[in-house]
Amino acid sequence: MSMASMRFLLRRLALFAVALVVISVLVFVALRILPGDVASVMAGHDSPPERVAALRMQLGLDRPLTQQYVDWAVALLHGNFGVSMLTGRTISEQVGARALVTFPLIVMGLAVALLIGIPLGCASCLAKSERVRGLFHLVAIIGGSIPALWGGLLLILLLGKGIGLVGLFPSQGFPQDGWAAFPQAVASLALPALAVGIIVGAGLMRYTRAALEELMTSSAIDMAMSCGMTRTRAMLTVGLRLAMPQLVSVIGLTFAEMITGVMVIENLFDLPGLGEGLITDVGNRDLIAVQGELFMLAAFFLTIGLAVDLLHRALDPRLNDGEGRGL
Amino acid sequence: MTVLKSIWAHAQGRYALIVLSAWVLIAFVSLLWTPHSLWATDGYHVWAAPSADHWLGTDGTGADVFSWLMAGSRTNLLIVVLTIGVSAVIGLLLIAAMVSSAAMLSGVTVVAVDALISIPTVLIALILAVPMDASIAVIVIACGLGYGLNLARVARPQALLAARSDYAEAARAAGVSPLRVLVSHIVPNALPTMSVQLSLSAGTAVLAESGLTYLGIGVPSGVPSWGHSLATSVKFINVYPLTVLWPGLIVTCVVVALNLFGDALREAADPVANPLLRQAQVRQAQPMEAAVVQPQSEQVVSQPPQPKQVRP
Repeated sequence: MSMASMRFLLRRLALFAVALVVISVLVFVALRILPGDVASVMAGHDSPPERVAALRMQLGLDRPLTQQYVDWAVALLHGNFGVSMLTGRTISEQVGARALVTFPLIVMGLAVALLIGIPLGCASCLAKSERVRGLFHLVAIIGGSIPALWGGLLLILLLGKGIGLVGLFPSQGFPQDGWAAFPQAVASLALPALAVGIIVGAGLMRYTRAALEELMTSSAIDMAMSCGMTRTRAMLTVGLRLAMPQLVSVIGLTFAEMITGVMVIENLFDLPGLGEGLITDVGNRDLIAVQGELFMLAAFFLTIGLAVDLLHRALDPRLNDGEGRGL
Repeated sequence: MTVLKSIWAHAQGRYALIVLSAWVLIAFVSLLWTPHSLWATDGYHVWAAPSADHWLGTDGTGADVFSWLMAGSRTNLLIVVLTIGVSAVIGLLLIAAMVSSAAMLSGVTVVAVDALISIPTVLIALILAVPMDASIAVIVIACGLGYGLNLARVARPQALLAARSDYAEAARAAGVSPLRVLVSHIVPNALPTMSVQLSLSAGTAVLAESGLTYLGIGVPSGVPSWGHSLATSVKFINVYPLTVLWPGLIVTCVVVALNLFGDALREAADPVANPLLRQAQVRQAQPMEAAVVQPQSEQVVSQPPQPKQVRP
């Protein structure tokens, strides 16, 4: 590893650490300083003040805020995210169980999105007739404009077992046995993944088109064509490779965004995933759980951002200028 | 005006303008008149099919679906306008900080924007919903914050280019205050990019409204909105699937219109791509040039920037 990449890595890691601290403060502040502190919200709207005071003491909320924050942060560093007030299970356990639904859903959705987005994006840039290109672009815009809730509903009406025109896939719930019942589990994720995939795929299609269009007039493509490739072939081999770093960044960030982006879909299809769990906890005012989960999610988003940046750099050596600074 | 004319010249831009003006028009009409009262329930005609009396049928309480959708358009318009306003203000403040000459301030802002931008809007909305409950403010603040960060990031290169340009330098050397330089040199340069981004954000805000309202942290129940209409019909999808079509269709059409508007605006607001705009700017600039002859430094610096150069 060269000196320059080393310096970049250190700089990026420092930014990551600072951001992590900032986010933890934000989550902490949002749940403490805003009107109605944890204890009074938890105790309910018209509970007597003594009860609130007792709860506050029990939760350690009567200590100074900085003390509370430091305690929480130290616990976080030990990997201790706290215990849910309602279920009594640790937050990590709870999140782990939910992630087993959400992550497969996102991976399947992303697979659908890639299958739709990349080929159609290439087509919408490379099609011979201008009219066809315009049509592809319009399709991408319409696909990205569909509310997730509505898209999911239309799919249920089309393919849902029991309701749809063609009853193919179950449209509600996740098997009780989880992944032990593998075929059922995959089947129950099929429709939600399709709904997510179509919407995300439409966005990906626009990115692919924009990235390729930018390269269309680049000298790399001219070079490839003067070596005897057709424009289409040059775009698909050289162009796609050049667009790869940019696309990988977009795909990585999309992956992170989908964790909360699939919230509505999880709710609609009644899947016990991360987003659905977070909404339930907010609804139940399980604020200890909310605090832990929000931080965990935010930390995850920052980690993905870090990974994407590093990957982008690894894929695009042009970014390593002499000083190791991003362009 | 020239920009609007150029947008109208494209078929897609025309669709966008028609849908958007219909939206605004219907929102205002719904303040004065809807075919039926929102609260007129009718136990004998629940889930009625579309008819001459109820154009899109009735919902589970016998209320007129069409009237609710009409009334919903004003809530959505309000949300979009407020969100755009909040994100424009946040975006401008961030841009001002990013291009400021204080290295400390600009450095910290760039880092903060990069770090915060990966936090999705829904997460912010959830944090806000804990103390605030479901309200329009949750949508507006969460979306305004998220889109404002986005705006700053997208418009930063343009703003930076203008801030480092010779004419901004000349203005500063002539003793023009930083605020004035920002308003008369930097913002006009970033404006085309910003308005395109804001138009796309408006579409996202409409989608966010329907999502957040469905999740119970957006528009409170009882307030008409498209997301509300969509969410109430979802519960009965097994029994009355057709009612769910309308709100989704409206949201999709409007969001498509906002996206196409953004696309058309991108082309129309770019003097390099739009000859009509170039001509108008030249015509506008001529009387100004006459003023330059008089040695009044104030007027020289307030002259609008020349049409952007193609390459930095």
